[in-house]
Amino acid sequence: MNYSSELIKGTLKTIVLKLLEDNKRMYGYEITQRVKERTNDRIQITEGALYPTLHLLEQEGLVTIDLEYQGKRVRKYYTLSPKGKSTMEQKVNELADFMNTMKFLLDIKPQTI
Amino acid sequence: MVRISEQQIDFILNDISARGVMLESLQLHLLDHICCILEQELQEGDDFYQHYPTVIARFYEHQLSEIEEETNLLLNNKYYYFMKKLMIMSGAFSAAVVSLGIFFKYLHWPGASIMLTVGIGLSSLVFLPLLVTLKIKEQQKAKDKLLIFIGSLSAIMLSLAILFKVMHWPGANIMGVLAPALLLLVFMPINYITGVRQPENRINTMVTSMLIIIGCALFFSLTITPQNFKRIALRNTNTYLRSQQILQHQEALLAYDTAQGSPELQALTADIKKHCESLKQEMLLITTDNTQGPNMVIEDCTIHDFQSNYPAYPQVVDTLARLISKYNNEVAKSPQMHPIAIKYSVVDIAEPKPLDKVLNALNDLTQIEMQLLQNQLVKQHNTATAFTSNQ
Repeated sequence: MNYSSELIKGTLKTIVLKLLEDNKRMYGYEITQRVKERTNDRIQITEGALYPTLHLLEQEGLVTIDLEYQGKRVRKYYTLSPKGKSTMEQKVNELADFMNTMKFLLDIKPQTI
Repeated sequence: MVRISEQQIDFILNDISARGVMLESLQLHLLDHICCILEQELQEGDDFYQHYPTVIARFYEHQLSEIEEETNLLLNNKYYYFMKKLMIMSGAFSAAVVSLGIFFKYLHWPGASIMLTVGIGLSSLVFLPLLVTLKIKEQQKAKDKLLIFIGSLSAIMLSLAILFKVMHWPGANIMGVLAPALLLLVFMPINYITGVRQPENRINTMVTSMLIIIGCALFFSLTITPQNFKRIALRNTNTYLRSQQILQHQEALLAYDTAQGSPELQALTADIKKHCESLKQEMLLITTDNTQGPNMVIEDCTIHDFQSNYPAYPQVVDTLARLISKYNNEVAKSPQMHPIAIKYSVVDIAEPKPLDKVLNALNDLTQIEMQLLQNQLVKQHNTATAFTSNQ
């Protein structure tokens, strides 16, 4: 089962920030692969959504960047900045809270994955 | 694992930019990402050029440049909200400061002009431009964008013109003419021609044009034409010249120089007259192009402007004021004489008014000389009666 892009879009920032917190230093391809692995392919981040979000995080100062050159290829590594860390915590808490509210709102019975 | 060759990297990079991704950082991101996927998926002996299209196709729904559009949208949106916030804040702040400035101005409290300057300046240079930028972004058609731009430009110019006029800065008049001219000659025709063709906008367009014409007419009816301005200046100049002529004729009739009285009073009278005449001469030299000709016009010029051409002005007025106060003390001893009135005149040094006109100062000085002459007349009259009673 694949989730709709609306659902992914609203949580993508949180997902990326949380991944960076867990893995310290990551590049774009790695992020999409890690999400796929962790969710057994249930969440697939499209590149078309990931890179705009990464640019936004960079502009907002939530991540810092270092470049690694391999010939003509440049790999951009992302690391969480202190500001990004506090934003991540806030966002994760917000999402958890939101999920609880949704459970209540939609009257979802507890289920096992 | 297959390594991607240099040629293949060039190929990918060219393909990405050919597909409309121009942001360099985005290009590099995509390049690395595509290389990673290819290295993962290609087996020895697979054809790179066959596999590549299937990989790039995963990045978009319709075309690759969607990624760049999405990036720009996300980045600009943030900027957009910041601009909106700044616009609201600067608008509210300038409205508050301008209102406070007007209040202070009416009550003659200090700080009024700085508040008005800051308020009007902020609204015309920060608030209005931000408002325009945001409004232009919201419009789809190029015509609407242009109309908003022209309309706001004329609004900005008009508010700056009023600020410059109030502050007596140069350039106020030209902006005051250009702003409504832009509205009338550029904005209104474009708006009318494009709007009147669409049935749904017909009435609105016509009403807007009428409002613009009436508004500009009201504005222009407030302004003084250059001809009228010249006429007023000529009229004022001639009033001054007539007073001056009357003064000189009366002085000649009364044989001013041979007047009698206490030596102190005589000396003071002569001294005050000398100062008045020389100050008047300086003022005429600076405010007219030809000092004595029949078409002489005294220009509309403030004391402040005059002083910047004649730095000695404060000392001269100070000396004159001291002489007059000595004179008034002398005059007080004689019951039939009148002291020289100084309240609200050029020699009222307790309350200097740098924005008063030089023309008013000239008339004040002539009146001071007339008052001297009046007291001279009292004295001569007294001498004459004393002479007859002695007879």
